[in-house]
Amino acid sequence: MIAFFAIYLIINLSLNLQLGYAGIPNFGLVLAFTGGAYTVGWLPIRLCMWVFNIDSELGADIAKNNVIIVSQINSHIQTQPLIGLAVFILTLIAAVAVGGLLGFVSAYPAIRLRTDYLAITLLALGEVLSIIGQNYDPLVGGVIGILAPDVWGWSGGSRFAVVSLVLFLAAIGTLLTLDLIARSPISRTFRAIRDNEVAASSMGKDVTKVRMEALVIGSMICSLAGALCAFYTCYVGPAAYGRLEWTFLPWLMVIFGGLGNNFGVALGTFIFVALQKLIVFYKSSFAFLPFDVVWLEYLLLGSIILVILVFRPSGLMKEKQSRTMPKTRLEEIAAKVLAKSSKESRASNAKKNR
Amino acid sequence: MIDPILMDAMTYSSLLGIMTFGLTFVRRTTGVWNIAHAGLVTIGAYVVFTCVSFLGGNPYIYFLLAFILSAVVAVVEYLLIIEPLRRRKASTTMLLVSTLAFDLVMLSILNIYADYLQNMFSLPSKNFLLRKLDFILFDEPGIFWVSLSFLMIFLVVLYVILNYTKIGIALRSCVCNPMLASVSGINVMHTNLLSWFISGGLAGVAGGLLPLWMQGKPVVGDSLLALMFCVSIVGGVEEIYGTVLGGFLVGFTQILVTSALSIVLGAAVIPYKTLIPMAILVLTLLFAPSGIAKVNWKKILTIVKFGGASKRKI
Repeated sequence: MIAFFAIYLIINLSLNLQLGYAGIPNFGLVLAFTGGAYTVGWLPIRLCMWVFNIDSELGADIAKNNVIIVSQINSHIQTQPLIGLAVFILTLIAAVAVGGLLGFVSAYPAIRLRTDYLAITLLALGEVLSIIGQNYDPLVGGVIGILAPDVWGWSGGSRFAVVSLVLFLAAIGTLLTLDLIARSPISRTFRAIRDNEVAASSMGKDVTKVRMEALVIGSMICSLAGALCAFYTCYVGPAAYGRLEWTFLPWLMVIFGGLGNNFGVALGTFIFVALQKLIVFYKSSFAFLPFDVVWLEYLLLGSIILVILVFRPSGLMKEKQSRTMPKTRLEEIAAKVLAKSSKESRASNAKKNR
Repeated sequence: MIDPILMDAMTYSSLLGIMTFGLTFVRRTTGVWNIAHAGLVTIGAYVVFTCVSFLGGNPYIYFLLAFILSAVVAVVEYLLIIEPLRRRKASTTMLLVSTLAFDLVMLSILNIYADYLQNMFSLPSKNFLLRKLDFILFDEPGIFWVSLSFLMIFLVVLYVILNYTKIGIALRSCVCNPMLASVSGINVMHTNLLSWFISGGLAGVAGGLLPLWMQGKPVVGDSLLALMFCVSIVGGVEEIYGTVLGGFLVGFTQILVTSALSIVLGAAVIPYKTLIPMAILVLTLLFAPSGIAKVNWKKILTIVKFGGASKRKI
């Protein structure tokens, strides 16, 4: 649960940055997410083969010899954890770069469009990578998919705990970073454009450029989530990255938690993931039902969102007013300004009386 | 006998057009992009499948039922979700999200229903094809004639309704300025209800046609959702005939270009045919963002005829 909470939190925070702060309805989250996952399916194997000097004949058809290659790589990583970590970090950097590129490419033709058109266009373009991945075997093994090296293999029996901890820390890191960004000038520019494009433009802001920046940054974070997810499962299969799981559910979680509030998004994500896991946990109790219980989960989630949208559209936690400085400092400045103005008015009154 | 590739292209394009009619119509008349349109299409497919499985007979006789059921669900969606949100002045993005949530609910119900049919009645409800039940006319399958006829009928009917009737004027005025329309004596809610009813019904008929052409499954509508949006945007939402233009452009390009490329480059290119609509979408957004129905062909032809230099003189 911790691992999936962390992955969903990262992708949801990226959506919150794009939608909540910049007002960009990115319905193509799955594109960047898949990009990050594909990077994990493509890069680490080749990197490790080069580092560990694995038989180059096997490398002639990586998709076909995938199991043999990955088992050899994993046996090396078990004894050399530092190389595993280096590969992990390098791949994450590459995944972030790929996400940025995908964000730019998908945004370029559409970023000037009106909100709803932009959403629909991004939704349609989100499919592209999945189609390529399923049909071009050398990328990530086609429909069957590909195994990725287990960079956490050195941790042995405690692998699950180690990966969960790393993912959790990554999610918390993203949350804190985005919360800092939320209080920065760029976030205020995002909000200004979201609230009134014309006014922001008249103040000298390049609306298209700023929106593009938001989409690229969001896609980079989303791609990071995809890469972390692939490293967690050690498997990359194009069929595993569907629009429902990696675009629609994050949207619902963000709306549920509260747009424009990172901590609200974290709360919404936690409740959703916990609910999902509870249903999976008690699945056997519903064995008498003549259908798969997983559909009850989606039914419940969809209904909750509809209720939230109708009765509490701001979500669980409302967007907070952004402060440029700490509250106490702002109060000090306000007190000084008030004191100064009252002093001046008193002086002018005294002058008049004289 | 018509060339099989041409027949494929025409049937596919017609189906795309029929599926997208409802989507474009509701966007044109109420300003909402309805993601749940995918679910409404799937409902149509399941109505026909259920009736054929339990009652037998030709699938075409159940199209009216598919129309009514999908239309009723669309009306429920409007009354329960869209109207209350509109009253609260929800943004277009929020309306879009609400249709997404409704689609998720429908997807779940359809999957539960398909599971139920499979487990209780041993029906192949997760993957069904009704081609065997189709009739043959002039050596061609009935779906070819029916889809083409439906496309033309819907086009004419919707075009006439929107442009030459009082209801059409009311529908268009409600999306332009609901307040003014209301002041002029138009019942905005009833007009919107009609719009959602027609849109849902069209989705139901399109869904009913689908299993006669491709595998029906609980996600059949959702798997075609991106394609429907492509057709709608490529054609343009301002004119209802844009949907037919978009459908035929996307459908024909997808099938004819893929078959031409497969002759030159080999069969390996065939799986990538789903990328063609995305490429058309990107090109449309770059060069004709309002869709091909809104392109000023006269102006372009004049420029081509007289050249760029003499354009000013014209």
